[in-house]
Amino acid sequence: MQAESMGKLTPRVRLMFAVSSIALLAVLAISPFKDFVREWKQYKRGYVRFAQTRPDTKKLLADYNPSIDQIWIPGMNVVDRCTTCHQGVTQTSLGGSSVPQPYREHPPIPHNVRDWGCTMCHRGQGPATEVAEAHESTLAWEQPVLPTQFIQASCGTCHQENLAETPQLTRGRKLLAELNCQGCHKLQGVSRPAMLGPDLTNVGTKVTREWIYKWLKEPRTIVDKDGNTIVNGYETEDEPRMPKFRLTENELRALSAYLSVQKAKPLPAYKIDARVVAAWSKNPELASQGELRFRQMFCSTCHSLAVTRAGETKLIGGDIGPELTKVGSKVKPEWLTAWLRDPQGYLAHTRMPRYGWSDEDLFKVTQYITTKLTDSDLLGNVPQLGEPSEQEIQLGHRLFVEKGCASCHAIEGVAPQKDFGPDLSAVGGKNASELEFGKSNIPRHLVSYLQAKLQDPTSVNAAARMPQYNWVPADLDAVTVALLSMKGPPQTSALQNLVVPKKEKEFHPTGAFGEVYERYKCYTCHKFDGYGGDLAPDLSFEGSRAQRQWIADFLKNPQTLRPTLVLRMPQFNMSEKDAATLADYMTMVLQSPQADPSKVDVKQFTPAMVALGKQLYEVKYQCQSCHTIGGSGGYVGPNLNNAGNWLTPAWVEAWLKNPQALVPGAIEPRRNFTDAEVQALTAYLMTLRTSGKPQKSASHGSSSSAVQGAGR
Amino acid sequence: MMRRSFMSLFLVLAITGISGCRKHSDAPKADPVRAAYDVEADWSDAQHAIPLSYREAQGKRIFYQQCVWCHADSTPAGPSNRSNLTPMPPLLNDGAILNAESDEYMQNIVTLGGSAMGKSAMMPPYGRVLTPEEIRSVIAFTRAIAQPPYQPPGRPGSQYANK
Repeated sequence: MQAESMGKLTPRVRLMFAVSSIALLAVLAISPFKDFVREWKQYKRGYVRFAQTRPDTKKLLADYNPSIDQIWIPGMNVVDRCTTCHQGVTQTSLGGSSVPQPYREHPPIPHNVRDWGCTMCHRGQGPATEVAEAHESTLAWEQPVLPTQFIQASCGTCHQENLAETPQLTRGRKLLAELNCQGCHKLQGVSRPAMLGPDLTNVGTKVTREWIYKWLKEPRTIVDKDGNTIVNGYETEDEPRMPKFRLTENELRALSAYLSVQKAKPLPAYKIDARVVAAWSKNPELASQGELRFRQMFCSTCHSLAVTRAGETKLIGGDIGPELTKVGSKVKPEWLTAWLRDPQGYLAHTRMPRYGWSDEDLFKVTQYITTKLTDSDLLGNVPQLGEPSEQEIQLGHRLFVEKGCASCHAIEGVAPQKDFGPDLSAVGGKNASELEFGKSNIPRHLVSYLQAKLQDPTSVNAAARMPQYNWVPADLDAVTVALLSMKGPPQTSALQNLVVPKKEKEFHPTGAFGEVYERYKCYTCHKFDGYGGDLAPDLSFEGSRAQRQWIADFLKNPQTLRPTLVLRMPQFNMSEKDAATLADYMTMVLQSPQADPSKVDVKQFTPAMVALGKQLYEVKYQCQSCHTIGGSGGYVGPNLNNAGNWLTPAWVEAWLKNPQALVPGAIEPRRNFTDAEVQALTAYLMTLRTSGKPQKSASHGSSSSAVQGAGR
Repeated sequence: MMRRSFMSLFLVLAITGISGCRKHSDAPKADPVRAAYDVEADWSDAQHAIPLSYREAQGKRIFYQQCVWCHADSTPAGPSNRSNLTPMPPLLNDGAILNAESDEYMQNIVTLGGSAMGKSAMMPPYGRVLTPEEIRSVIAFTRAIAQPPYQPPGRPGSQYANK
C-alpha cells in the first residue's frame, strides 16, 4: 500500500508541485526584474521620457542606446560610465538650471568631454554604475567626487601655468607662495625664493626684545568675534606672512632673548649732517614737512597706513612692503636712518628700492616716522623682560631650531632648514586612508581634512608643529584648491605629455641699465618680457611707445600721474644720469616688432588729416567716452592732452590697428578702422601737446593690472 | 499547512530579492553657493551671494576686465567712468532695462557696438576682441546678477519654463 501510494500522484501532491513551480518561476523572475529596475536603467528611461517633453526630441535621442555608455581612453586610465546617466552632457539645448540633473548639458569648457572623460576633472569612480558608488567614497573605491567649488584644482593638475579661467586656483597658488608655505613643505610648482622671511642676523639692531616678544606672541593677527582679521588693530583682507606659533611664556622669553642679541653684522650708523639737524630740529613744522615728503615720494604705493575717515578706520596704501602705522614704536631710530639709505645692506634680497636721499629729506622723513607713526600702547601688555640671561639665550637658540624658524629665516650660527614639514607635492591625490584624522570627527575625506588642518592644525593632530593661520573663507577655499591640484607627477605617459609646465621668466639685464634697474627695483611693479610685478604698466615695449625725452622727464619727476590714484610711481629723486641711462636703454632695447618707426612719416600728416582725425575722434568713434582731451572726457584710458610729446607715431598707428598685439589683455577694443582713419587719428593725436611742464600728460599708474592696457 | 509554508517561503524569497533593489538615498543637497563654480555678491545687497555657473563665472571675469569701467558704479581702479557718459550706460545688473532685451540683441550690441544698433557710439564693438562664446558668457553673467531677477523666455505651458 505504501509503494502504491508513493507511485500515485494525489491531487494534493499535484497542487504542491504546481505551487512550488510557480514559486520557483517567480523567484527566477526576480533576477530579470532586478535587472530591469537597476538605477542606471531608470535614468536611461527617465531621459527618454524627458526628451519627449522637449521640442528637439529627435536630436536628443539621436544617439540614445539603452545600455551602458562608456568613455574609454586607454592611455589615460579613463573608463568613465558617467554618461550612462548624464546623457545630456553634449546636448547644447539642455543648458541652464531649468534642466533637471542628471540630464543637464556640461557647461562649455575648452576640453571635449569625449576626449578627456569625466573623472579626470571631477574624480569619483568612473566604472561604477550606481549613484552612490560613482559619487561617494566607499571602502573599495576611495576617490569621492570633487565638490564643484573646488573643481579648479583639476585644471591645475595639468596646467601648472596660471590660467585666466581659474581665478580661485591662481589666488590659492599665490597665497601658498606669499605665505611661504614652501619654507617647510615641498610643493608642486612653487619654488623656494632667495628669501622667505627676513634675515634675522642683525635683528637685535632693529627692534627691542619687548617688541619681539609681542610679535611672537601675536604676530599682528587677531581675529575678532566676527571673524575679521585685524593687523595691528586694523582690519585687513591680507593674511600676514608670519603665522602664530603656539608658544608658552617661557618659550616667548627665551626666543625674544635669543633674537634680541643678534647683532652680528650691524649696518654702519649714518650721521645726518649736523647743520641739517640744527636747522630743522627746532622747527615745529619738522614732522608735518616729513609727512609731506613721505606723501610726495609715494611711499604709500608699497606701504599702507591706517586712516580714519568718518569714524571708519581703513588701511590705505599698497601691500608690497609692511604696513607702517605704528612702525615708529617698533624700530630703533638709528636703524631706520641706516635702513632707508641702504636697505640691501641690511636685507640683501629686500624689494625696497635704494632712494637718492638728501640729508634734509632723510632727517624729515625719519623724524616723521619715529614721532608720528607711533603708538605708546603698542608694547603695553608686554612684561618687563630686562637683560637676556645666558640661559634664556641658550634655550632660545634651541627653540629656534626645534620650531623650524630657520626654514624661513636665516640667522648666524644656524644652518638653513629645508623640508621641515611633510612633502605636499602629491597631497592632492591622497586617499582618505592615507590621512591621519586624529580625534576629530570631521568627514573622512581629503577636502575636509585639508580644510581642518589649515584652519587649526591641532584639530587633526594635537602635536602638530604647523603654526596657526587665520583665513578668510574665500582664501581657505583657494588654498585648498591649490593643494588639491598637486597630485604629483602624472600617472600615465599619455598625461605626462599633456602637462602645461609653468614658464619661469627672468629679466636681469647687465651693464649700466642693469645696475639702475636693480637699485630702483623697477621689476617690483613693472613687467619686462613677462618678468616682474603687475602693479604698474608693462614696460617690455616702452621704447616703442614713448619718446625718449618724455621718458627721461617722467623718471626725474613722476608727479605727472592721474590724480585719482592712490598707488603711484614713487619719487626716487633720480639723478640726471640715472634717468638718461634708463631712457636710453628703453629707447634702444625695449622695442616692439609690431611698431615700426620707419613706416610712419610724420611729415606726411596734413591739416586735412588732422581735421578728419578730430572729427573721427569726437563724432564717429566718440573716443572721449574713455579718453580725456582738454578738460573733458572719460578716464578709462589715458589722458591724451600731451600725446604728441609722449607717444611715438608708430606706436599710435600700431595701437589703433590692434591694441592687443602690443599689450595682450589691453582693454581698448580692437576696432575696424580703415588705414586712412588710422592715419587721420594718428595725425590728430600727434598735434596734442601741452607746452612747458608736462602736467596731466599721461596716466601712467594704474592701481590694478587690469587697467594696464588702457592705463597706457 | 504545507501550502502555507510554501507561500511563506515564496514571500521570504520575493522580499529578499526585491530588497536588493533598494534605492540609494541621494547625497544631501549642497548649499548652492558652496557648490557653485564662483560667486558674485549681489550689487544691491552685499550680504547676498549669487552662485555662478562655469559660463557665468567666465562672464564675470571678462566683465571685470572689459565692461566694469562703464557698466558699474565702482571699479577695481577706483571711480567709475559711468557718470562721464551721456547717455549714461545701464548698470549691468539693471534688470529693469536689460531683462527686456533678448540674448540675440545683447550679443549683437556687444559684438557690433552701439552705433551699429542705433544706440550711442560710446559703446565700442567687442567683436574683434572677444569671441562669440566669451560674449555669450558675459550675457549669462548679466542674466545671473540681474535685479529684478531675469526670467528666461520659456515656451508657454512648458513644465521647464519657469523653474
